Amino acid sequence: MADTTIEAASSPATTQTDDHNQQHQQRAHRHAPLPPALDLYGIDNLLSDEERLVRDTVRDFVRERVLPIIGEHFEAGTFPKALIPEVAQLGLLGMHIQGYGCAGMSAVAYGLACQELEYGDSGLRSFVSVQGSLAMFPISAFGSEEQKQRWLPRMAKGEVIGCFGLTEPDHGSDPSGMETRARRDGDSYILNGTKMWITNGGIADLAVVWAKAEDGIRGFLVERGTPGFTTSDVHHKLSLRASITSELHFEDCRIPAENMLPNVRGLRGPLSCLDEARYGIAWGANGAARACYEAALDYAKSRTQFDRPIGGFQLTQQKLVNMATELVKAQLLALQLGRLKDQGMAHPVQVSLAKRNNVREALHTAREARSVLGANGVTLEYPISRHMNNLESVYTYEGTDDIHTLIVGQAITGLNAFS
Amino acid sequence: MLMMSIGQFDVKPAKAGFVAKCSEALRRGLSRPPSSSATHPTLSTNHNLEENPVKIVVCMKETPSTTVEKSFGPDMRIERRKEDAVINPFDEYTIEEGLRQQEKHAGSEVIALCMGPATATDNIRRALAMGADRGVLVTDPALAGSDAIGTARVLAAALKQIGFDLALFGSAAADAYGGVVPSAVAEFLGMPLLSFAGKLDIDGSTARIERQAEVGYQVAEASMPALVSVVKSINEPRYPSMKGIMQAKKKPIDTLTLANLGLDADTVGAAGAREEALSAEKVTAQRKGEIYMGNEGAADRIVAFLVEQKVL
Ligand SMILES: Cc1cc2nc3c(=O)[nH]c(=O)nc-3n(C[C@H](O)[C@H](O)[C@H](O)COP(=O)(O)OP(=O)(O)OC[C@H]3O[C@@H](n4cnc5c(N)ncnc54)[C@H](O)[C@@H]3O)c2cc1C
Repeated sequence: MADTTIEAASSPATTQTDDHNQQHQQRAHRHAPLPPALDLYGIDNLLSDEERLVRDTVRDFVRERVLPIIGEHFEAGTFPKALIPEVAQLGLLGMHIQGYGCAGMSAVAYGLACQELEYGDSGLRSFVSVQGSLAMFPISAFGSEEQKQRWLPRMAKGEVIGCFGLTEPDHGSDPSGMETRARRDGDSYILNGTKMWITNGGIADLAVVWAKAEDGIRGFLVERGTPGFTTSDVHHKLSLRASITSELHFEDCRIPAENMLPNVRGLRGPLSCLDEARYGIAWGANGAARACYEAALDYAKSRTQFDRPIGGFQLTQQKLVNMATELVKAQLLALQLGRLKDQGMAHPVQVSLAKRNNVREALHTAREARSVLGANGVTLEYPISRHMNNLESVYTYEGTDDIHTLIVGQAITGLNAFS
Repeated sequence: MLMMSIGQFDVKPAKAGFVAKCSEALRRGLSRPPSSSATHPTLSTNHNLEENPVKIVVCMKETPSTTVEKSFGPDMRIERRKEDAVINPFDEYTIEEGLRQQEKHAGSEVIALCMGPATATDNIRRALAMGADRGVLVTDPALAGSDAIGTARVLAAALKQIGFDLALFGSAAADAYGGVVPSAVAEFLGMPLLSFAGKLDIDGSTARIERQAEVGYQVAEASMPALVSVVKSINEPRYPSMKGIMQAKKKPIDTLTLANLGLDADTVGAAGAREEALSAEKVTAQRKGEIYMGNEGAADRIVAFLVEQKVL
């Protein structure tokens, strides 16, 4: 009984005539055709041709150029630097920024790119997020015309790598307590302090650093090689291993006053960057989740135990159905958020809700998918453990799950539970 | 019947003399007067080449993605779903080669030509996002069920109408693997085909290719206008870029019907097809393994096996 159901639902096993009868029956019963397991809700149809082209392009790129090498980089703890010119060539760096050598694409297109990159690895998506949303975005949004001209075109080409320094050893979730200082001295600022957990720090040519000046928190552009500015990479990470994470040290680091971002003051500066990047994460997490779900589904259909595919056991099906359901929900959340953003209607609270939900569910999916693969699930042979470990960082950075809970909580109750 | 014709079309020697055969109408369609480059046909250097614009038409077919399971309708035609339609993987090399020639020869134009369903504009758009300047889609309900010769008839007519110096093709399409179309188009147009190019150079009014052979390679050349089919080793196709995708939105795609091409519906499509698919069977992949045991001679046999498989 159960066996026949499985047969009917999996078309590869049926013959062509059966397929035909099945379709015919479906029409007779006025059912739409069975949706594919990887697009259960026809979300594909909600995308424009152009959006699909963006998605498919990045998807092809990830399949052909990233997947073959990413496991080795994860294992070795190295960032696949050779991919930098390639993602630049694709135009992914700052793709949602207008002008200055950037493609000026929609928020949805940017989100789809993040989704596909993170299908490959959260480390690669982080690289692109940091470059585009955390380094190029503040320059384009708050920079002077000279700063934009000077940096953005080269950053889009991947010739200049950027990083974003907000977090400090003693100040993570509450950046308002930051200790890094910028003191005005004639035509210069002098920076002192340490930034911690900075993605791309060790390979960055340009650091966007947030520091307290006399008039409040300000953003500064610090070039590699400036005396008093050094970086050291964080080693022994068990997550985002294919991404560089570093400390930035500033010791009486003198930079020209015109390296300050003129058009923003206060926490609004870094927070609006985070809002951009979190938006990308809300999409990206779905890519990681899809990779895990896909691997688990494949495995469940081919692995037999007790004389049948493990996908035929109710417990395994429950896991797969959970994954599929959460993926569909998360994708709809991201897409609607993108549509709102493209209309200029997205509120940061909505970004928090989507980042929180999608990363959290991606992590659950990764863990469940891992269990479906049994022992194989813990190896690098399959993408799941890698994604699972990566997602722990994604869960924490750009506002922890807790912090986003408090943001949404405050929005719906009107009560501040932060402090 | 079709398979045999590959040879017939293909062995046609590509000679400069063939250019004389091309019709006046075709000449008029060219993007530039063909005379200018004739002044230095043998002496031209790379430097000169750069000022030698060419009008290149890249022919691209829409095929079902190689990753989806293919099924056949009752008429024994492959069932095509829009969602699964991709640019024939062989034609990505065609498009790329067109773009590379354009980069070498400033002022050149690359036109993507596709015969297919109305929805094929999506994939033409992809070619435009890769960098082609404009697209031409030949679409008509009567075209459904065209065989290789019917397809070639249509492409030849469209090429004639568009006009070109160089028409590029892939060496086959990933759905049918006939590989006949380029030679058939050449026959319809009475033009030379330089087939299976692993390298293409344009030198004045001459197109020259290298064709990989078992030992070394053959060099073939023809006066333009000419047709060239390319093999996968010729280049590494690019991905469309985000900027390219944005620009592609503004690039034109013209649509042509049979009437526009002056073709009779019963010479093409299912009506005109001389090719008929009788049956289709699923290929079941069989894993064939040989296990060599023991120390004695195992290594030699493995090496011999690898040599036989041309791995070594
Ligand atoms: C791989 C990686 C890359 C990173 N890249 C960057 C980067 O490029 N740039 C950058 O600036 N930063 C970066 N970060 C830092 C990241 O943003 C911080 O780690 C994050 O903001 C949390 O700060 P914390 O680690 O200091 O944790 P803490 O803030 O100390 O939090 C510890 C725990 O306490 C909880 N908590 C804190 N406050 C509250 C509260 N009010 N109520 C309830 N719970 C609370 C948190 O949710 C968390 O569970 C990166 C981090 C990682 C792991």
